[in-house]
Amino acid sequence: MAENRHVTLKLEGVSKSFAKVENDEVTHALNNVDLTMESGEFISLVGPSGCGKSTILRLVAGLIPPTTGKITVNGQEVTKPSPERGMVFQKPTLFPWLTVEKNIAFSLQMQGKLKGNEDKVERMLKTIGLEDFRDDYPGQLSGGMAQRVALVRTLINEPEILTLDEPLGALDAFTRMNMQDEILNIWRQKKQLAVMVTHDVDEAIYMGTRVIVMEANPGRIVADIPIPDEYPRDRSSQTFVEYRNRILNKLHYGGKHQ
Amino acid sequence: MKTIFSQPLDSRSGKPSPEQTAQLDNLTRQQLKELEEKEKTPLQKALDLVIVLLPLVCSVVAMLEYQLIPNYTANKKPMTYLCLLVLLAVIYGLYLLFSLVKRGKGDRTVFDKVRYKAPLYSALFLFLALYDYLTLKTGILMYPFVPHLNAILNIAWEDRAYLIECTLHTLRLLFLGYFIGVALGLVTGITCGYSQKVRYWVTPIIKFLGPIPTSTWIPIIMVIASSLFGGAVFIIALGSWFAVTVASMTGISNVDKDYFEAAKTLGASERQLVFRVAIPHAMPSILQGCTQAMSSACTAIMIAEMMGVKAGLGWYMTWAKAWASYDKMFAALFVICFIFTVVTKALDLIKKRALRWQNGVVK
Ligand SMILES: Nc1ncnc2c1ncn2[C@@H]1O[C@H](COP(=O)(O)OP(=O)(O)O)[C@@H](O)[C@H]1O
Ligand SMILES: [Mg+2]
Repeated sequence: MAENRHVTLKLEGVSKSFAKVENDEVTHALNNVDLTMESGEFISLVGPSGCGKSTILRLVAGLIPPTTGKITVNGQEVTKPSPERGMVFQKPTLFPWLTVEKNIAFSLQMQGKLKGNEDKVERMLKTIGLEDFRDDYPGQLSGGMAQRVALVRTLINEPEILTLDEPLGALDAFTRMNMQDEILNIWRQKKQLAVMVTHDVDEAIYMGTRVIVMEANPGRIVADIPIPDEYPRDRSSQTFVEYRNRILNKLHYGGKHQ
Repeated sequence: MKTIFSQPLDSRSGKPSPEQTAQLDNLTRQQLKELEEKEKTPLQKALDLVIVLLPLVCSVVAMLEYQLIPNYTANKKPMTYLCLLVLLAVIYGLYLLFSLVKRGKGDRTVFDKVRYKAPLYSALFLFLALYDYLTLKTGILMYPFVPHLNAILNIAWEDRAYLIECTLHTLRLLFLGYFIGVALGLVTGITCGYSQKVRYWVTPIIKFLGPIPTSTWIPIIMVIASSLFGGAVFIIALGSWFAVTVASMTGISNVDKDYFEAAKTLGASERQLVFRVAIPHAMPSILQGCTQAMSSACTAIMIAEMMGVKAGLGWYMTWAKAWASYDKMFAALFVICFIFTVVTKALDLIKKRALRWQNGVVK
């Protein structure tokens, strides 16, 4: 498998405002955000609901344009979605009319690259251990299984940037911890740039090489905390607890350290 | 990429581990059902057997009723109805035999189906007997307006050439109108659902036409259309077009935008968003529209044939009524029922097949 090229993703003075549906006002989802991210990093984005986390990912994916500022990958401006910048959503959004196998193959088929790449689909099925479910429809899968399929459906493109919007948010605690390791394993093999939104501070520390803390009204970055610790990380270690306190303080949920 | 799991695969995929349940591995859906169902008691088994034999008993009841009770009115060529009863009984008997053989080989699906439907088949035979009693035997249901079955069967056979001609005419009209309407409806519905600009122009037309029942147009079309056949096709097509347009428009505009976003990040083009995401997603709604279109087409064609078109089964019925041949009228009625049932059933099968993916969806 070819290595991905090294990428630098830059948000320069990015603001994004939305017109509110109910009145004439405008929501400032993001206000003047500057952020530089590189291949090999695993960025965790945490912050209260409505602080613009999803908006950042959707901007990076090219699903929406910024109001001001620009988003570049290796200097080239992002204007539209591309399989190079894969996105995994909180809902698996698997196409219910396609079998598991066809869902995974969807992207290759859309790009006309399926012929000769059937082994890739096979490999993806194997990665998530769902070979026996290839002919099942998504409606029959459990939440964890569906989210695994959604993950490899994006990974089949070997994206150089992988964005994940609370991908584990809807899963039970055990499935969630298993999948944290699975995602980390996948990322450590290819060292692409991964950007994951989460509302779980422990998850952010457990997985990220950097935790970005955000705040709402207007959406902005309030802290950028590198986590250089070795993987796998110990959730009960002293340093882990310290990171947690630091981040919770930034989010104004801190206790004794405040 | 190698397998990335630290744990065995099957615990991840939610399947029972192999040691636990080696014999469960090749379990089919049917076997699972049997395994989970309680073993039936001998009494229940005996009851099942009685129930599947019941239709045969009822068929004999119907035959005896027909043969033994003296007739109230004249009955020409009495064997036709009897033959029909025997034929139905034999078909059921063979079906039952087939299911028993299958059950002997361990496949219970067919037998279960027979067991499920047996009370209905019994009721059908009893209904035939009752109908015969009320018409041929006692005349309680006003003779000659409600003829007995033997007379209907005989007249249908005698007049078969014309009946078949009318049937073919009806079918031709029905399908021509229906397919034209559905095809155009798909085009307008899908474009409207997807493009705001087209919707701007088409919605007013739909809002205006919507509340008017298709049959309202029939008298007007009959007057202005140069050919009655063409006019009827137009009316049937109009009704189908409307049903399919509305259904597919709603279906397409209700597609969750998350699916579009997911598809976009997976590299789908605008065209593919329509054909690979929007249309499949709207399929249940579209097919619902097709079914609705068929029922509106069936209504429209009958009205058209009864009001103006001088051919087809609807025309045959009015014509028979004008000549007071009520037996012919009923014969045509039965053919119409039969055709519409078959058409609806066929549409249902297509729908089930196309929407396989909806089966077992946990709602
Ligand atoms: N398409 C949209 N239209 C209008 N408002 C939006 C839209 N998307 C997001 N917003 C608003 O922008 C703000 C940030 O949204 P989002 O990025 O989804 O937050 P988060 O993911 O951090 O919870 C919220 O106040 C939300 O209501
Ligand atoms: Mg969000």
